[in-house]
Order: sequence, then C-alpha cells, then structure tokens
Amino acid sequence: MRVIHLTNYFVAGCIASSFLGWVASLHPMAFRAVLCLLATIAIAWGLSWLLDFSLSKLLKISVADLQALLISGLAMLLIGLGVFLCT
Amino acid sequence: MHLKLFVLSASSVVLWLTPLSALDKTLGIHKALQGVSLTAAIACAVTAGNIARELSEQGEIEEIKARAITADVVDEIATSAYISQQQRQQEAEQILATDEEIDEQEAELNSIKESLELLLNQSSNDSGELAVVNLSTRQREQIELILQCHAKGISGKNKILKEVWGVSAGSSQAYRNAKAEYEYLMPFIKEEEEGG
Repeated sequence: MRVIHLTNYFVAGCIASSFLGWVASLHPMAFRAVLCLLATIAIAWGLSWLLDFSLSKLLKISVADLQALLISGLAMLLIGLGVFLCT
Repeated sequence: MHLKLFVLSASSVVLWLTPLSALDKTLGIHKALQGVSLTAAIACAVTAGNIARELSEQGEIEEIKARAITADVVDEIATSAYISQQQRQQEAEQILATDEEIDEQEAELNSIKESLELLLNQSSNDSGELAVVNLSTRQREQIELILQCHAKGISGKNKILKEVWGVSAGSSQAYRNAKAEYEYLMPFIKEEEEGG
C-alpha cells in the first residue's frame, strides 16, 4: 500500500509538470514565466544538493530521504515535460 | 476503499495521457480540454495518494496491534508457565517438609519407645526402684532433707514441715499443700530408711 501511495504522488508530480508545459504553451509570456519558475526550481534543486545536511535537519528527515525526494522530483519534472513535449 | 483507490489511480493516468495524445489539435477547445483534464488528473492522483496513505497507516496500526496481541499472548503463556512451575516447586517443597516432619516424629517416637522399654526393664528388675525413678528431683531433694531431719532427731511433722517446706502449722493453703506432699513422700522415706 505504501508503494501505491508513493506511486500516486509521483504520478501527480508528473501530471503537474505536464500542466506546467501546458501553461507554457498557452502564451509566450506564460512560457517565459514557466521558464523563470523552472530556473528557480533548478537553482533550489542545486542548492538543496549542496545544503542537504542542513536541510535534512531543518525538515527533520534523513539525508537519504531528502536525496530520494530530490531525485524523484527531477524524475517527475523530466517525465512530465517529456510526455507533454512528445505528444 | 481499494476499488476507489484503483479507479482514481487509473483515471488520473488516463486523464493525463489521453488528452495530450488522442485529442484532435484542430479543435478550438483543444487547449481548454487539455487543461481541464490535466487538472482533473492531478486531483485524482492526489486523492488516490491520500487514500493509499490512509490505508497504509491503517495497515501499520493493524500490524502493530497484531504484534502487541502476539506479544501479550506470549507473555501470558510465559507467566502461566512460570506460575505453574512455582506451584510445582512449592508442592515439592511442602512434600519434602512433611517427610522431614514425619522423620522427626518417628525419631521422637523411637526415643520414647526406647525409654519406655528401659523403664519396663527396670520395673521388672526392681519395682521399688521404679517408684523412686518416677519422683521428681525436687521431691528427691525433699526426701533427702527429711532424712537429714530424722538423722538430726527432728521427728515431728510440723517441725519437719517448717524445716523442709518453711511453713508453720495452721490452716493456710501452703501448709495444707506441704502436708499433702509430706504424706505422699512418707512411704518413700520409710523405704529409704529401711533400705539405707
């Protein structure tokens, strides 16, 4: 049941990434806004990798869990955008 | 709950992929449909995730309950085994203690039997000696004192009572007791005098 729970949240993340792609496809300004958002997410992602120990203490989770979250976040973004762009 | 979970999961995937791939792009409402279906897909996926999380937590609680019940049962079995072992040990100790008591009683009975046999032998040898043997130490001492009085020439009953028992003639209880005792000892005194 835990696997189903995590899988559903992963799918929700993928769909949210596709939704971002859809928003970007609506208007050039929306595209820029989404690009800015993606850039912000990328910077936050990179900083999270650099400050993983501090962040894990702040969020009260283990470093391994934080790293798993970061990797799965990247995977969700890539899959969601990939699905949107390929269709 | 499980059916709802699986339906929501499947519909989220369908709502995510179908409008993106199968929808006719020449339609005017193409983008709007895509947006609606993606929003619905997100909602379905999040709801399915929440349901699955609840079920997972419930499963964990059930597992903890089952483990607690198992631990309780094991603990109860161990306790009952310990109690029965203690009871058996106590019973065994009681049986051993009873055996020891019986041994002691037997030993006491044997000693009484031996002394009775000895007395019986003595009585068969000399019946007079048995009577002296039955007197107490105090009575023997009193006999000795009376004999000494007789040797000194004191022969009156009242004088002897005064010398030996320390009581004067009268109607006191002590005098009467001393007199009764003196009369009881008289045959033995006579026997001693005749024998000595």
